[in-house]
Amino acid sequence: MKNVLLNISASKCLRCGYTVYPPKMRCIRCGSGEIVYVNLPREGEVLSYTVVRAPAKGFEEFTPLIIALIRLGEARILSEVVEVNPEEMKVGMKVVATIRRTARTIDGGLPYVVKFKPLESGSEVGSNQPDSFPS
Amino acid sequence: MRGVYVAGVGMTNVGRHTNTSLRDLGGIAALKAIEEAGNERPEALVIGNMLSSLIEQENLASLIGDHIGLRGVSGFKVEGACGSGGVAIMTGYSLIASGLFNKVLVVGVEKLLERPPSDVIRGLAYAADADYELVHGVTFSGLNALVMRYYMGKHGIDYEEIAEWSVLMHRNGSRNPFAQLRNEITLEDVVRSPLIADPIRLYDSCPLSDGAAAVYLVSEKLRRVNDTPVTIVGIGNALDSTDLTSRPELDDLLASRVSADKALRMAKVRVEDIDVAEIHDAYTITAALSIESIGFAERGRAPRMWCEGRFSPGDKPTVNPSGGLKARGHPVGATGVYQLAEVVMQLRGDFPGVKVPAEIGLTQNIGGVGSNATTVVLKR
Repeated sequence: MKNVLLNISASKCLRCGYTVYPPKMRCIRCGSGEIVYVNLPREGEVLSYTVVRAPAKGFEEFTPLIIALIRLGEARILSEVVEVNPEEMKVGMKVVATIRRTARTIDGGLPYVVKFKPLESGSEVGSNQPDSFPS
Repeated sequence: MRGVYVAGVGMTNVGRHTNTSLRDLGGIAALKAIEEAGNERPEALVIGNMLSSLIEQENLASLIGDHIGLRGVSGFKVEGACGSGGVAIMTGYSLIASGLFNKVLVVGVEKLLERPPSDVIRGLAYAADADYELVHGVTFSGLNALVMRYYMGKHGIDYEEIAEWSVLMHRNGSRNPFAQLRNEITLEDVVRSPLIADPIRLYDSCPLSDGAAAVYLVSEKLRRVNDTPVTIVGIGNALDSTDLTSRPELDDLLASRVSADKALRMAKVRVEDIDVAEIHDAYTITAALSIESIGFAERGRAPRMWCEGRFSPGDKPTVNPSGGLKARGHPVGATGVYQLAEVVMQLRGDFPGVKVPAEIGLTQNIGGVGSNATTVVLKR
């Protein structure tokens, strides 16, 4: 279950090969509609990051919130980075995908989403963190 | 296509309008523009607005149209996030250029400050990608911060060089009676202001604002209503993704660049010919990207240029003599209409703040992190 949830799907153009996340119905570079979904690697590198200190409503408990733009193989993804202090964040840092809880939706749902953590802090599977996905 | 002229403008002060309703704000700006246009009754009303749903009010054309005696005219609201005002102008322009109408009133209006700031911050982020970005709690400031850190690293630019923009904007804004922030500040004030989303500090950001502005557009047929009509000689709008991640280059605002190209080409005007511009500096980084996308500076050069005194009053182009979003304020869906009204007043010579002797002006209004941009070129 957790392995399925960790799949990060991007769209890849069969004509020109361009790969983007989030997936699109047509290629943003050549316009082709011949698109397939491909899974991105789970390990990547931080291209840019910020620490959100003035939260949006609902995210107070996650503040300060570290948000990074991460290169995953041929594409990039925006996500939260956990298990790291804001002052330890660096451009170029290696991170790995993990599943964590995020803020409640407007209808009260409790969604789990793909977040990232520093690569050296252990394997993404079998984490003992209290808010990791219940197995 | 028929020519489109600006026969009148109106605006309210930008700021916190606790005792003025959304319909009154829109009405005040609209009636001022109608008065300037010789009290001609418009045939159509286009409203630019992003977030009136936050205060539980939609159907704004009927609300404001009825409030100012326009039952029976055509009308609707258009939306393009923070670029809603620009989209409304493009729509009003099209209604006249197409020959459908001769007199169109465009009103940009936003009233957000009756909601708590955390609601407004969440609402502004609706401009981003709900499924792929907002789910992580990133704010609009956070998205711009990702771009700012990337830009600083790529071009080797110091924070202080970018922050100098705020000092210039407060200096210009201090002379604009319609501006929200009329105090002058120092670079140290910016650098010492609290971080809201590193590296963006409070003083890198525009304030949250209420306000309304209106422009009265007419065809050649109605040009007589004002003795100094300003002509819209070029207009362009372009889209880009709502998400940041799928863009090939993070600091290339495609929509901003393409909309400026379209507008300048249509106007047959070179970028060097622009005397005055009002651009979309929601954050200091947005000022740099907008200035570079329009072509006023090479990529990665804008902050050094404004530190050397470029874009200040006296330079060609003078950029944001109003104080920009940073100091005039950013009443979201009204901002693009403020910009147009301000440049019209510069061309007529009656802007009540920093005056720029100008024959040709430009406005650029941006929605999202560059996901929807409208550029307008105007001539006296």
